[in-house]
Amino acid sequence: MSDTNTTHAVHARRRTLPSAIGEPMVWLTGGALVVCLSMIVMLVLLVVVNGSKTFWPRAIEQVTLHDGEVFLGVATEHERDVETGVLHTLYRVGNRDIGQESFRWIDDEQISSIETPDDAVMLEREAWGVWFGVPESIVRVHAGQEDTVLAHGSGDVLDAYKALHKDARKTKAKIEQLKKVELGSINSEIEALRLSIRQAEIEASRGDRGLIRLGWVLWFVFGVLAVGCVGLVYRCRDMGTELGASNARQGELIRTSGVIAAVMLVLAMWIAGPWKGQVVDEAQLETMRADAATSEAALLVEYDEVIAQIREIEDVDHELRLVIVEPTSGHFSPVSQTLGDEPMYVSQVVRLVQANTLSTRGKLGVFFSRWWEYLSTNPREANTEGGVFPVIVGTVILTLLLTIFVTPMGVIAALYLREYAKQGFVTSLIRIAVNNLAGVPSIVYGVFGLGFFCYTVGGYVDTGAVESARMGATGWWGMFVLAGVLLIVGFAAKLWSKPNPGKLPTSFNKWMQRGSWLVWTAVLVLVVMLVTRTPYFYGFFEARAQDGTPTFGTRGMLWAALTLALLTLPVVIVATEEAIAAVPNSMREGSYGCGASKWQTIWRIVLPGAMPGILTGAILAMARGAGEVAPLMLVGAVKLNQDLPISTQAPFIHADQSFMHLGFHIFDLGFQSPDSQAARPLVWTTTLLFLAIVFALNFTAIMIRSRLRAKMAGPTV
Amino acid sequence: MTNETDSTNTAESTQPVIRSVAYTPNGGGDQAYEVIDAIRRGENPTPTVHPEVLESDSVINVEKFNLWYTETQAIHDISMKIPRGAVTALIGPSGCGKSTLLRSINRMNDLVEGVRVEGGISLNDSPIYAPSVDVISLRKRLGMVFQKPNPFPMSIFENVVYPLRIDGERRKEVLEEACEKSLRSAAIWDEVKDRLKKSALGLSGGQQQRVCIARAIVADPEVLLLDEPCSALDPVATLKIEELISQISERYTVLIVTHNMQQAARVSDFTAFMYLGRIVEYGPTATLFQTPALIETEHYVSGRFG
Ligand SMILES: Nc1ncnc2c1ncn2[C@@H]1O[C@H](COP(=O)(O)OP(=O)(O)O)[C@@H](O)[C@H]1O
Ligand SMILES: [Mg+2]
Repeated sequence: MSDTNTTHAVHARRRTLPSAIGEPMVWLTGGALVVCLSMIVMLVLLVVVNGSKTFWPRAIEQVTLHDGEVFLGVATEHERDVETGVLHTLYRVGNRDIGQESFRWIDDEQISSIETPDDAVMLEREAWGVWFGVPESIVRVHAGQEDTVLAHGSGDVLDAYKALHKDARKTKAKIEQLKKVELGSINSEIEALRLSIRQAEIEASRGDRGLIRLGWVLWFVFGVLAVGCVGLVYRCRDMGTELGASNARQGELIRTSGVIAAVMLVLAMWIAGPWKGQVVDEAQLETMRADAATSEAALLVEYDEVIAQIREIEDVDHELRLVIVEPTSGHFSPVSQTLGDEPMYVSQVVRLVQANTLSTRGKLGVFFSRWWEYLSTNPREANTEGGVFPVIVGTVILTLLLTIFVTPMGVIAALYLREYAKQGFVTSLIRIAVNNLAGVPSIVYGVFGLGFFCYTVGGYVDTGAVESARMGATGWWGMFVLAGVLLIVGFAAKLWSKPNPGKLPTSFNKWMQRGSWLVWTAVLVLVVMLVTRTPYFYGFFEARAQDGTPTFGTRGMLWAALTLALLTLPVVIVATEEAIAAVPNSMREGSYGCGASKWQTIWRIVLPGAMPGILTGAILAMARGAGEVAPLMLVGAVKLNQDLPISTQAPFIHADQSFMHLGFHIFDLGFQSPDSQAARPLVWTTTLLFLAIVFALNFTAIMIRSRLRAKMAGPTV
Repeated sequence: MTNETDSTNTAESTQPVIRSVAYTPNGGGDQAYEVIDAIRRGENPTPTVHPEVLESDSVINVEKFNLWYTETQAIHDISMKIPRGAVTALIGPSGCGKSTLLRSINRMNDLVEGVRVEGGISLNDSPIYAPSVDVISLRKRLGMVFQKPNPFPMSIFENVVYPLRIDGERRKEVLEEACEKSLRSAAIWDEVKDRLKKSALGLSGGQQQRVCIARAIVADPEVLLLDEPCSALDPVATLKIEELISQISERYTVLIVTHNMQQAARVSDFTAFMYLGRIVEYGPTATLFQTPALIETEHYVSGRFG
């Protein structure tokens, strides 16, 4: 009885608090979401709108001021002056050759009239920015003869221009091609000749004859031993693999140590390979020099021929002149500042826009042709004009490279952490450390990349170990053998650290476990020392480095990609670990039940199962890495490098070169441009492009992932 | 299934507590569950083994086998011989160590941290817990099917030939032939032959389980270990699998764990009744189900105790 009473009392006591009402929370959370979303939408809209209007052709205004000055220009901005409070307009007036700023602020009060003359044109030129003017004539100049006027008056000139311009540009492109490809290859051949002589000289001055003799001896001994090793492993390949075979651990130890020994011997053969340090004597050097001199002479003749060919084409090209006159001063657009009294070549015109008479279709044509130019050509005029083709290529290649580097690294690390490592204090510690890595400011990675990758690793690749770090041969070989022995000992310790089947680990096993870690660490240290202190390696680019032009020992694509890979590593590790943990244990058990080894299970079951998650990690890493700029400034991005990081010439990916990058390009345009007014619209456009590229890369990766998912899951019935 | 958990706990604690046993002695009041009571007290009474079991040639020989999960003992001093070429069923209330015993045979328990065994099991006279044994080649000689169908997220074909793939078999004809043969043996060839390249995850539970059986037998194992292969399936699928077991028992030795008495009666030639990690009675299925030696067995198989 009393029981039921209390229950009633409790029920009566229970009431709904005002704080239980959820309505405000719906509004609050929904509102927060809307605010966030609208900020993102605003950002994208702003970039899209500003970025896409850059290339729209705008009317050319002929402005007459009260003081009688007349100029042509395009109004780009209109605003109230903060200090004086008067309205004023920013005109792009171009014509830098005649000594004026290319942008002018004009107070609206000063303007007496504005017209839009039909014959006003805007010239986009290869150098010195734009030129506003009125077409006067097209002239063919003959050396020592009277010039022939091909067309006169605005309409005729434009017609003639249309007929001539395309061919002129083609000729120009041909000249560029000749200069770049033909002359370039001759130059690089000459350079290669010079470097080979230089390398031979360096090697001759070093002259390690003793080493070479050692090399032959070692080579012979090792050859015999290696064959023996391989034979032993071949004979013992079945040992300990069958039920009831003598002993599984011993068999595994024999096989593995055989393999380790064989690999070590091959390595040793390679290190002391007598074919490597061929000592060149003075006589040989002389003949080499003589050979090089004859080849060089031949190349120089070829060079002169190409130059003559170029001259010939150029002479024809320079005959055609376009006279576009500025209304006030009557100046025409010159060939260059130094040739100020000669009208420019037709081939110097990139585009001629008669903006005031263009129909919408014509404007669209200009718009798209400018976009195409922007996407497909090299930058000009300190990046404020021309295109961003090398920048796009640099960005895309860098992003792909970094993804290619980071994904395997992260996956391997995550695999070890999840599948092999015993979960415990140390693994938690490592996880915390990895997560903290994600919070390190990216510039720190830049500094690390410059110091470690560029200078240390890159320097090593170029010239081998630092002179002071080189060890003597005896010490080094001692270390080499020690490393091999320790490797085998470590492996043995690892084998015996596992308890017997069905038994708990004994203290012997535990000590072996600790011992194996210790030995592995020692091996790692030894290997690092062996590599960094080797007396046998003088780098791959010694001659160039001694000339003061390091190949890998400086900022470059490879190091930038590796730095970004390091930066994005935590993302991949975390994503992969989660994906691996999400693979059901029943899958692993099924695989083991079929007689698969741990590695087979990982390779065939766990990794494919985790693949979508791994790709998610790769996508996140890519997105993060693509947007990084700060570390790139230190490890490889430059203002201008028109040599693409990929080419059709071996080695196809030129990972040693510095590169251009959209993120850095935006920074450069916005803050380091000599003509920041001209660059400002390009900042928006480049930002738009950058967004689009990152989006496209991510989209591709996501598509790949969803196809993979669909393939794996199959139809869900 | 009255107080199975309680009784398990009782056995696990070092000082067994004797509880009031939830049974009503049947027939004469003096007919108490002597063996079961002894087991609950923590003793290891000698199992009742019918001589027929010992007569036939054995493929697996369990000798004085004990297994601990860290501290708790799951298997107590079990000795049994599994006859060759027959279906042997392990029955008993859940938690009595059937799965553990089964997984000890292909050393699946190696994957569990802190497992310790004493005594031994031998497969065709070679001890499987000797340090010299390569667990991978051991597992290659045994096929295993799990309680929940666990096809891999790949095509049906790849699922079935997985054991051959990991042995490095690449020849397409060999793989295809083996796949067809074992899918036929698993009585699922007609259902899947047109969709071999489709994902196995798209199949129904019963079909998935038969694909798993096909996978288990594709490499011609010496013994097929089935751990409650039908417990996650509907009655129709169960029936199909049972038929299939009867068929493949002509070629393989089968050891099947089940908690379904009818199933054991239908498919098996020999049955072992386990309780709290011990064998209570072990003999030909017909004998065990019709004229068992122990009253406990009689009551258990007829569902009056469990
Ligand atoms: N991985 C494990 N860790 C600890 N104890 C376990 C584990 N697996 C099973 N056990 C225990 O061992 C006993 C036997 O379990 P199991 O063999 O799965 O029983 P059955 O298959 O007969 O239902 C149970 O008491 C169970 O709690
Ligand atoms: Mg079970």
